[in-house]
Amino acid sequence: MKTVQERLKLLPAACLLMICGQLQAAEVELDPSDWGIEEGKECVKCHTKTSAGLAEQWRQSRHAEVGMNCLDCHQADASDVDAIQHEGFTIATIVSPKDCGRCHVNETEQNSSSVHANAVSLITDRMPVMAANLGGKAIIDAGCAQCHGSEVKVKGDGTLDTATWPNSGIGRINPDGSKGSCSSCHGRHAFSKAQARDPSSCMRCHSGPDSPDRAIYEASKHGMAYFAHKEKMNLDSDSWIAGKDYVSAPTCVTCHMGAAGKLPTNHDVGMRNAWNLNTPVSEKQYLVIYEDGDKSEIPASQPVPDRGTEHTKIDGSLGKVKVVVPPDRRRKAMRMVCLECHGKNFATSFMDQFDSVVDLYNEKFGKPAQSIMLDLYDKGLLTPAPFDEPIEFTYWELWHDEGARARHGAAMASPNHTWWEGIYLVSRNFYSKFLPQVRAVAGDEADALISRYVTDVKEHHGWLDNPEKGNPILGYGTRKSGDD
Amino acid sequence: MIKFAVPAIITRRVVTALVIAFGSGVVFMLMLIEFDHQTSTEEFCTTCHSMELTASPYRESSHYLPTSGVRASCGDCHVSEGVLSATLDHVMGTKDLFKQLFGPDYDNPVVNNLHLPEAAFKARQWFRERDSATCSRCHLQEAIVGSRADTAKIHQEDAVGKSCIDCHINLVHRKVPGKETFKRDAWNRMIEEEFGLEPGMADKILKGEIEPPEITAGVN
Repeated sequence: MKTVQERLKLLPAACLLMICGQLQAAEVELDPSDWGIEEGKECVKCHTKTSAGLAEQWRQSRHAEVGMNCLDCHQADASDVDAIQHEGFTIATIVSPKDCGRCHVNETEQNSSSVHANAVSLITDRMPVMAANLGGKAIIDAGCAQCHGSEVKVKGDGTLDTATWPNSGIGRINPDGSKGSCSSCHGRHAFSKAQARDPSSCMRCHSGPDSPDRAIYEASKHGMAYFAHKEKMNLDSDSWIAGKDYVSAPTCVTCHMGAAGKLPTNHDVGMRNAWNLNTPVSEKQYLVIYEDGDKSEIPASQPVPDRGTEHTKIDGSLGKVKVVVPPDRRRKAMRMVCLECHGKNFATSFMDQFDSVVDLYNEKFGKPAQSIMLDLYDKGLLTPAPFDEPIEFTYWELWHDEGARARHGAAMASPNHTWWEGIYLVSRNFYSKFLPQVRAVAGDEADALISRYVTDVKEHHGWLDNPEKGNPILGYGTRKSGDD
Repeated sequence: MIKFAVPAIITRRVVTALVIAFGSGVVFMLMLIEFDHQTSTEEFCTTCHSMELTASPYRESSHYLPTSGVRASCGDCHVSEGVLSATLDHVMGTKDLFKQLFGPDYDNPVVNNLHLPEAAFKARQWFRERDSATCSRCHLQEAIVGSRADTAKIHQEDAVGKSCIDCHINLVHRKVPGKETFKRDAWNRMIEEEFGLEPGMADKILKGEIEPPEITAGVN
């Protein structure tokens, strides 16, 4: 018999499942008479000639199959900010989630509060420094904003500001105020399910130092199974439940969004993430869901708001807390996916290995490096401006490039990225570049700093106290007597 | 020998008067033709500085710099064919001259650009009412081939029953949205940004509440 406390502990998990359940992707419930605008057939006639490739993609799409045409998605009211008159029709170039959401209600709702939809707010602090100081405005437009999303600007003459459009960034802020770009994954004008389920659609942005998941997935057992058995993945199927409709391999979508067994699919990509792996020091994170459907991530070290209280959202506005989902419950949701193919112990033990790498990174490198940097700033040994001193690049690469790669590598089972492309590089950077630069910057104060945060932590850095302890890896002691 | 009886009313004087009247008529018509011709040139139209502002984007357009070398001047598009229609257009056009002399300071680029949309809407309406007749001086719908793959087919199949201006706007002058989707607020903000004015100044300039800033450099 379970105690009341035990039952209460299950409440957040039940809530998460309920929320997932409510938001489960469903077939479009509108009546087919709601689409297939007659005048839209005119568009098709002309665009078949002017932009044959685009028209053919649409012709092969599910949208064409059910009788939808250009005007169903591109129709606009003359009063819309981005409405234009085009060959006798009032249309808008940009089809926003608000437009898609006329039919795809659940998917739009789920995505609208996701980390994907908020991808612009996430980097507002970073943008001026990374993009503007190190790069320039051109980089913001053609780099950052192409993944994170631009704030699309409609000019007074009705044209879209060329700096902000074209843009398929996943958190694009659209002229109608909506956030996101469905075409980021469901490329126009085929809107292929198979394409969105294929890892390549995620890899467009999740590759390289900022989010090294492409290389990690490719090098993992999961990626290996996927590329070997792609034709068995049933990617085109209407129903795509792991363990039922396909069993060969998981893709990015499978674990982060997909349906698996009783776990329903969800267009909020971050729901199942227990950790934040893209910070100088990783923390488990609570998911706060507000009454209006918005969500926030709260690091475990910060106070978690109670249900019913008011709390500041990611965009700075206030929201009333509906549910708080603790990290272990989020982990449980993710684990449900694993269990379609793996045993419980297998899944749990894998997660243990992953958590241990994150802990190791945090304790051995992340926290000491972060503390030293904060002290250097506090003592005025570094200027407040980021990236005007070499150690700032060193630190950034330590946690952002190498550290994130190690942690992602452990999360997604690529041994190579966990070690050689990950912790090994973190370690090399820490001992051979970061600490020497600390000594150079801090002068007389360096010894105190380094012993406090590094050499006094014997569990991780005690090996530095034993310079006499040799090893043949670099040849020490291997010279035979008589060799010269 | 047959003799024509000349009515008594036709006297030598009358004949002389008729000949003079006919001669004057011919001369008058020739003068009108010459007048229409002379007043349709770019040189004449841009005598007013306000028109120079309108003309500068034209000088970068394909109607000024076509690969064929056939250049359309102001009157080719904006003045009807035929001496009577052309003269009428010019007479109607004198209201522009009147406004230039007594209206807002169109020579000021800010004022000019703020009033541009209404001018564009009127010009488009003028083309529409005439079924884009002046376009047809050069362009024959059945003869359009184009450089893109299916331009010819579109003009023969999809453009049937449409007038050139229905699809082709913003070819020559500064881009102005369609009348139905035009947003005055957005336009004013764009002009303010372009000329570095405080937000809201454009509205006041339009209402005549404040003087436009002195801007002499040409724009567009």
